[in-house]
Amino acid sequence: MSSDFYTTKILPYVGIIIKMCRAYTNSQEDFEDYYQEVCLQIWRSSENYNQKSEWSTWIYRISLNVCLTLLKKKKNNTQHFASDYLPPELVEDSHAFEDESLNQLYDAIRQLSEIDRGVIMLYLEEKSYQEIADIIGSNPNNIGVRIKRIKERLKKILN
Amino acid sequence: MEKSIETIWKEGFLKSDALIAPKLNNLYNQKSKHIIDKFKRMFKMNLILIVLGSFIVLGASFIVGLPYLGVPMFIILNVLVILNKRLLNTLMLIDKSVSSYDYLISFDNWLKFQISINKKFARILYPTVFLSLMIGFWMKIEEGQRVGDHVVNKLLLTYPDLHLLFGVPLIGIIGALIVSGLLILLGGRIYEWDLRIVYGRELNKLDEIIVDVEELRA
Repeated sequence: MSSDFYTTKILPYVGIIIKMCRAYTNSQEDFEDYYQEVCLQIWRSSENYNQKSEWSTWIYRISLNVCLTLLKKKKNNTQHFASDYLPPELVEDSHAFEDESLNQLYDAIRQLSEIDRGVIMLYLEEKSYQEIADIIGSNPNNIGVRIKRIKERLKKILN
Repeated sequence: MEKSIETIWKEGFLKSDALIAPKLNNLYNQKSKHIIDKFKRMFKMNLILIVLGSFIVLGASFIVGLPYLGVPMFIILNVLVILNKRLLNTLMLIDKSVSSYDYLISFDNWLKFQISINKKFARILYPTVFLSLMIGFWMKIEEGQRVGDHVVNKLLLTYPDLHLLFGVPLIGIIGALIVSGLLILLGGRIYEWDLRIVYGRELNKLDEIIVDVEELRA
């Protein structure tokens, strides 16, 4: 990956990748692995970018897909865990951010199912239902209902 | 009043340290190390399985009365293991302190050398396995007589003019020699085919990562 590609095509959108990877990892080490893999895949897949969607949407899509794939691989390697969910006290990375409320929100998000994590991240990033549906591969109406449910669940966990 | 998740999200990321990207420097170092370690593990496991297999074949061959099959197979498989163990020892000598690119290239060169040696050895291995099978069954004793002699006696009843060489039909010797010759000729290719089945995925990954690093260096 050229440094030029990284500087112009990835660095301005680095926030998207960080936010997404944090939701799927429990430690700084995993987070760095996921981050690097997402960057690598963005670079590799950039030839397939068809400009039908915005570059940022493309990055969301790749970030989400890579995180889901890595999580699946990790699960396959540790089959004794029924889920990747760890209770907050076992999450090494539960103080990744300076803002404590944000850390708590991330801990709550990590308790959601894999797809729900992606959906709520995209919602919080102010993507429209249509965009979320495009990225996830669903329809906007389902996304609306799903977001409502996820928000209720998060509220419950946070309280 | 409690903050909504939207507010927590927005305010949380206003803090300057929230979105610091990790460095990408280690990406290829980690990947190179990971893939090479995986190869090493697979090679070791493969050698262990061959040793275990050779002992099983040896033991089983005596139990079922096929020692002429078991002993040569045991010897040739263990020669294969000793040869590859020595090759594996040279792999450990590759300097890990060099750059990931140099490390990958050194490993790739080692792998090519290892493959070339094994391709040559395959020309001995496969014919030996084939001849062990033939001789093993031929020499098996059944009803007080070798299986080969049973076969020859039956053949002589049908073809009394059958040419024999040391008690073996000449046609059979020629057939075995042709098959052995083919195995000598094609041994290298059969080994490559075998290698692709066992290590194909990892070999492709290694090629991919070398291309990636080369692009990175360009």
